[in-house]
Formats: sequence, C-alpha cells, structure tokens
Amino acid sequence: MSPLPKFRWRILLSSVFPLFLAAALGAAERAPQTVQLRIGTILASNESEDFDPKLSGMKNQLEVIKYSSYQLIKEESQKVAWRDRAVFEIPGGRSLLVVPQEYRNQRLALKVRLIEGEKPLLDTTVRLRNRGYFLLGGPAHEGGVLILSISASHRSPALPDPSPR
Amino acid sequence: MTMDCKSVMEILGAWLDGEIGARESEAIRFHLESCASCRAAKLRLERVEESLSAAVKAQASDVSWPQFWSGVERRIREESERRERLWSWLRPGSYLRRLAWAVPLAVVCLLVILLAEQYFFRWRLGPNLSSVAAVESIDGHGFNLALFGEDETNTTLIWLFLDEEEDEPSAEVPVADTTF
Repeated sequence: MSPLPKFRWRILLSSVFPLFLAAALGAAERAPQTVQLRIGTILASNESEDFDPKLSGMKNQLEVIKYSSYQLIKEESQKVAWRDRAVFEIPGGRSLLVVPQEYRNQRLALKVRLIEGEKPLLDTTVRLRNRGYFLLGGPAHEGGVLILSISASHRSPALPDPSPR
Repeated sequence: MTMDCKSVMEILGAWLDGEIGARESEAIRFHLESCASCRAAKLRLERVEESLSAAVKAQASDVSWPQFWSGVERRIREESERRERLWSWLRPGSYLRRLAWAVPLAVVCLLVILLAEQYFFRWRLGPNLSSVAAVESIDGHGFNLALFGEDETNTTLIWLFLDEEEDEPSAEVPVADTTF
C-alpha cells in the first residue's frame, strides 16, 4: 500500500473515532433514563428568629420572602422515569405531583401540580437547570406558611445540591 | 627600519607569540640588542608566559580526557539529531504524515471546546442559560398568584395566595384533572 492511501485511512479512522465518541456523549446527554426529584418542605413564620442550618445553602433565596424563621420540616426524594408521575405528601393534607417532561437545551421541564384533597391549587410547568430548583410558597401551616423547594437532577444518583448555581 | 622603545613595548608580546612579520621582527631584534630595559621587559614577559603555561599544563593533567571527549561527541551527536528531526518535520514529503495527525487533533480540540462550553461555561452565554428557573405556564385555579424571579440570587419563586381565596370561596370547586 502506498503512503498516500495509508495516510488517508489513518485520517479517516482517527477522525471518525472522536465523532463516534461525541455522538455517544450527545446521546447520553439527550436521553437520561431517570430523574431524581427532591422536595424540601420549609415552614416559614415570624414566630421566632430561628434559621435551620440545613437551609444555609438557600439563605439568599429565602431572604427574598421576608419571614424571620425558616425550618426544614420534611425532605423527600424520589427517582422517576421521564413522564412518570411522582407524588409527594405535603403537610396539611396536600400533595405535590411532579412529572419530569423532557430534557432540552440543558434544562429539565417539570410539570408540577399542588392539590389539596381532590382540589387542584396550582398547575405549572417550569424549566430548570440540572440540579437546579425553584420555590413554591403560600399554603398556610401551623401559624406560618409552607415553602416547597422543588429540585431535579437527571444524571448523578446523588441528591441535587440545593446551593445556588 | 629602526624602532624606539615605545613601539617595541607595544608589540613585544605579539612578537614573542610569533605574530609579527619578518621586517618588524628583525627591527625588534636589532633594538633589543642595544636596549637593556627592553631586554629586561622581554625577559619578564617570557617568565610570565612560562608560569602560565606551567599552570595550564598542571590543570589539564587533572582533566579526564576520554570523558571530556565523549561528552563533546555526545553533544555534537544530539545537535545533529535535533537538526535532523527539524529537517524531517519541515521536509515537504512529511506534510501528509503531519496531516494525518492534524485532522483528528483538530476534531478533538473542537470537541473539547464544545464540551467545555457546554459543561463549564454555560453561565457566560447570556440570559437564555441563566440559572433562574423559567416558568413556562402557570394556572392558579382561581387563586391569586405571584411570580418572582431574580438573577442575582438565582431565585424563582411562585407564591400562591390561598387565604384570600378561602374568604370568598368560588361556587365551582375545580376537580383534579386525572390526565395530569
């Protein structure tokens, strides 16, 4: 074999390999199998000045809400498949239904419904970054209000980091 | 050709080293025969040269010459190899060989840049990739809502005002949509 075809093969093979690698990485990026959802239930009130140290990673976000006390009263995580529904029990006879819809443009789309008994209180669709979170607040509870921290992660088996990104 | 003392002293060292032409050498020799002070200077210079020569010889006897020469040969060999490598790199015939590595290298570099951008530098790309969660749709089922988003603290907050609605309950209570 003359040198020229040999080099051509070398160029071809060594160029195709990284492309396959990129395609595999891209496929892994596009099609994560499960989504880890985590719901933190926070009781915000003005009855004390206590700030739960477990919430220190979200202090800046919670300070926006202007209550004097924040306590993490419940934390629950579930792993669900895409478009499967995860149900989280919220204190006060409420439930939070979360359906991870898709992963596109580096964002997870979550369909979220808050219900009280059979009555829907809120429906929303939120797009958040992987391991990102958003807050849902308002329901009254034990002299304060509940704030739900809703986060999602699609790759790491570890729980999402609640610290701001 | 005649020379005075000053001229002789200027070139005496060179004369001793044999670096002077025949005519000048003859003139110096002629001057030295008749000048005692220049002869004395010549004698001093000869002694100095003898002393230096002896010192150099003594030092040179301590040098390991085989090792010295093998070192010199090694350095010459390395230099010629380096030149050979440089020439083989610049030689027109090697362009294809370099191209064989340049193409995949360019592809890998491109991938690294893209992946780095994707995984590490997203936050630099503007508001579309902000850390704040984006609310696509929202329905409070008759309850008042407030939506708050702040880039500075990466906060997205949906606030549901349930108490006010409970004061004036709606006649038609919405029922959970089973298609959710």
